[in-house]
Amino acid sequence: MSAIITQLPRRKPRMLRFFRWLWRHPAVTLGGVIVSAIVLMGIFAPLLTRHDPYAQDLIDTLLAPSADHLFGTDDYGRDIFARVIYGARISIVEVVLSVGLAMIVGIPLGVIAGMAGRYVDMIIMWLMDMLFAFPGIVLAILVVSILGGGLINLLIAISLFAIPVYARLSRNLTLGLKQMEYVEAAQALGLSHYRIIVHYILRNAVGPIIVQSTLTAGTVILAAASLSFLGLGVQPPMPEWGTMMSDGRNFLGINIYLSLFPGLAIMLTVLGFNVLGDGLRDLLDTRS
Amino acid sequence: MKAYLAKKLIAFPVILIGVSMLIFGSIRALPGDPARLMAGPEATQEAVDNMRVRLGLDQPIVTQYVHFATDVLHGNLGLSLQSQQPVTQEIGERLPYTLALAVLAYFLAVVIGVPAGMIGAVYRNRWPDYGVMLLAIAGASIANFWLGLMAMNYFSVSLGWLPLLGATSWKSYILPSITLAVLPMAVMARMTRSSMLDVLSEDYIRTARAKGLSAVTIYCSHAFRNALIPIVTIVALNFGSLIGGAVVTESVFNWPGIGRLLVDSVRYRDYPVIQGVALVAVCGVVVMNLLGELLIAFLNPKIRFD
Amino acid sequence: MNSKMRLTLLSTALLAALSSPLYAATLTIMQNEAPRSMDPGNQTATFTGTVLDPMYEGLLRMSPELKPEAALATSWSSDETGLKWTFKLRSGVTFHDGTPFNADAVVANFARHLDAKRGLAASGRLRTFLDSVTKVDDSTVLFTLKKPYPAFLNLLTTGASLMVSPTADKAGTLDSKAVGTGPYKMVQYKTGEFVLEEKYPGYWGNKTSGPDDLKWTWSAEPSVMNMALQAGEADVINPVPPQFATVLKNNPKFELHESPGSAVFWVALNTDLKPLDDVRVRQALNFATDRAGLVRAIMSGFAIPANSPLAPVTAGYDKTLDPYPLNIEKAKALLKEAGVPNGFTMTIAVQGQDARIGQVLQSMWAKIGVKLDVRQMESGVWAKAAFADQAGKKADNTGSVLASWSSGVNGADLQLRPLYYSKSFAPGGANLGFFNDPKLDEMLDKAASTQDENARNAIYVDAQKEINQQAPQVVLYYQNDLYATGKDVSGVTMIPGGQIVVKDAHKG
Repeated sequence: MSAIITQLPRRKPRMLRFFRWLWRHPAVTLGGVIVSAIVLMGIFAPLLTRHDPYAQDLIDTLLAPSADHLFGTDDYGRDIFARVIYGARISIVEVVLSVGLAMIVGIPLGVIAGMAGRYVDMIIMWLMDMLFAFPGIVLAILVVSILGGGLINLLIAISLFAIPVYARLSRNLTLGLKQMEYVEAAQALGLSHYRIIVHYILRNAVGPIIVQSTLTAGTVILAAASLSFLGLGVQPPMPEWGTMMSDGRNFLGINIYLSLFPGLAIMLTVLGFNVLGDGLRDLLDTRS
Repeated sequence: MKAYLAKKLIAFPVILIGVSMLIFGSIRALPGDPARLMAGPEATQEAVDNMRVRLGLDQPIVTQYVHFATDVLHGNLGLSLQSQQPVTQEIGERLPYTLALAVLAYFLAVVIGVPAGMIGAVYRNRWPDYGVMLLAIAGASIANFWLGLMAMNYFSVSLGWLPLLGATSWKSYILPSITLAVLPMAVMARMTRSSMLDVLSEDYIRTARAKGLSAVTIYCSHAFRNALIPIVTIVALNFGSLIGGAVVTESVFNWPGIGRLLVDSVRYRDYPVIQGVALVAVCGVVVMNLLGELLIAFLNPKIRFD
Repeated sequence: MNSKMRLTLLSTALLAALSSPLYAATLTIMQNEAPRSMDPGNQTATFTGTVLDPMYEGLLRMSPELKPEAALATSWSSDETGLKWTFKLRSGVTFHDGTPFNADAVVANFARHLDAKRGLAASGRLRTFLDSVTKVDDSTVLFTLKKPYPAFLNLLTTGASLMVSPTADKAGTLDSKAVGTGPYKMVQYKTGEFVLEEKYPGYWGNKTSGPDDLKWTWSAEPSVMNMALQAGEADVINPVPPQFATVLKNNPKFELHESPGSAVFWVALNTDLKPLDDVRVRQALNFATDRAGLVRAIMSGFAIPANSPLAPVTAGYDKTLDPYPLNIEKAKALLKEAGVPNGFTMTIAVQGQDARIGQVLQSMWAKIGVKLDVRQMESGVWAKAAFADQAGKKADNTGSVLASWSSGVNGADLQLRPLYYSKSFAPGGANLGFFNDPKLDEMLDKAASTQDENARNAIYVDAQKEINQQAPQVVLYYQNDLYATGKDVSGVTMIPGGQIVVKDAHKG
């Protein structure tokens, strides 16, 4: 009896397959890990540090990093590590609210433009082009000078220049999908526009929109930090990363830690989102 | 092609008008009395009343806009509340500095970004490519004002090589332009790379290779011409992002450009200046966008038929 | 003389003539705020006064020992009542625009301040005691006071008493173009950038001392001031940002000058607004403020925690007072007594860099439940908010203002009256919180007309106690005067209060 017993290859265990997939898609993995880490850091901030990001200690100001103060202290004696971690919360809120608002306004506009066509399309797209023409920061500055400073107004201003992005994206997707056979078929079958939109268009648009969101997230964080740095956004003593860096300006040459660590945090976070977005985009491209 | 051009040319003034309406409307939307705001808190009641007449506040909003637009077209952007100088003068004095930075930044972006992108395309998926891609993504993720601060800390303060204040000598152009160049450089590298990759797989390149043309000839003459498109795209179409970058960079380096003017005027609530700079900046962007789109349309078919 | 000698003489002369331009230096001084106006009668900011100092003079000026001495007036005398003063004017003096300086000019100068309708910013001080100024003849004027005023001669050296050209005043251009009689005249005022002054060839006095040109610049950013000095782009910086003071002190290329200052930093509490109208609430805020901590954190130790509305350099200052040692429990108890046991919300208006003080106070007062909303503004915007009247402050809900005031060496009356007298309500005076205490008014009036110095100072001690007790403010600290120069700069002096004097400086 020859031992040609062909054993059916056992299906690799789920976990292994998962990790294999991650290995093959380094961008998504790396980006995903970074973003998740930042989000978790923000959520579990109180567990990661015993310091209160608002607690001033006027004796121990401008200390260099040490065991007790991992990133040192700022000019009010506040622990920089704590402020960076709690700052992640603010950044998360910034991303969720700004991107959320931009999607809520932009996507319906784009879908309407795509579905309605002709004049409605032209008008909406011209409106979007007008918003698009503004350099993001300039538009945000204009809005802030009307509404005043503060976190909420800042987010409104930022979402304003993200709206055209989503509008254009969803419009293009809608136009593309409108021509797809199964949508035409659905229309022929007499399904209402509403159902067509919800079922086919949105479902197929989810992918590109998620990709876009990760890329927009990075832009939001940078824009918010820039405006706060200029003093036009989040007001102290909130531990927003951009605001923290503007403090550092007053101590150039004396203390680099005030600006160094928040800046690193921003870079890491935006990098994570960008890498994730790139990876997701490649994934989507190869699939379709 | 002709329809495309026509559409773009018609859209141009429409967008300009729309943008000016937005800016006009935003200043009018400010809380408080617009006449008092535009005349300044120091102004006498008489000056405020004069301003009210000038702004035509008692007239319907459309008429107000028409006056505003006529003023702008005649080059009258009002007086700065702070300095009492014409806004056009304030902008005119500072615009060259911003443009100088922009030109330098684009120059650096092209000179470094394009070759980097080409290297990435040529050595695709090997180490040089990964290096370039990593740097490009990192460059797009950095807050440019952080980079500026760190550079200042090191080069200006610690080493004392470069000046800190404004635009005093040729040395003071170095740090701000490098800081401003980082983002367009990164984007340029990526776009060049992907554009080159697209082109390198095109038939005529394979034909050229089959014909036995040397690699250098292929890359330099054919592929490089295609790099022009991303360059034009970024310079012209991403001009808005550069202006945004300039606003922050100028504030970091105390650069006497229109970006810092805008930020200062918001802090001082100098509304005529805010309005003026916003108008100039946005119109600049719209013009550059139009030029870019036209140029690309021009470049594209030509290359296609080559 | 033979040709060889002639040649030597000629070449020596030529060399001398050529080498002097080598010393034609521009002295660059950088401060931390822009000048408010080029008219000394229309502004009260110390760091504008420094810019105007080389260009304007008064009838008298401060000697290096800080006593009034002759300037545009050559001699003076008063009658027995101390109410009538006669001044003999210097001849041969002209303003920078050619207008001659004479009795008519003096009368015109003081008339514009006594005119209640003009509304010039610095008139307040003069109007409290000056009744009239009249011409006796072309070179003699007579000052009539409402009551004897001990600081009268001091006041003639500065501020509203600096002589401006009547021609320029009539033309209304003084705010942007300075025209005085001083050793320097204005060349250019580029708004937002610099003020350039150069030697006035028609000056009546000593023309040789001082640099050829003075250039005044400013930056609200401490790092920029530090770098400007280090890079040699500024020769003098005033005031030195405290965080860089130690670094500069230890650097052999620069000299740090430190002297007791007269600038008092304080928070004016709006006594109109609830619950700040209750004295216990105001006292609670005082008990909750860690002044020593503030000095450490904000001023890097270059200041003295305050215990009185007067600065230590002022005559009459009582250093034994200690009304509000840090006591959180007492503060909370007072709040409870006043009916706000859980604290309340209030705002503070701060300008530019002072926002840091606001942030520290925010954290300190949070410990007793007071939520402080820090409103940071640019100095022009801040000035409007700070000097708003009662209705204006109510509309803006301005609970407090962070400010500093320095009366220099001009006496306690000029520190207390503009800030605490009931007739000094903003915007006419600097009583930003509308403090109204008849008892204090009486004390100030009595002291102002008491000629005997000891008796006067005794009254001021009582006044300090009264102000401390009523707590219309939270006094924070007295800022030391800090200025820094390059090692090659000499001849710069400082009048307490941050008033730097550069017109006799020498570079190189």
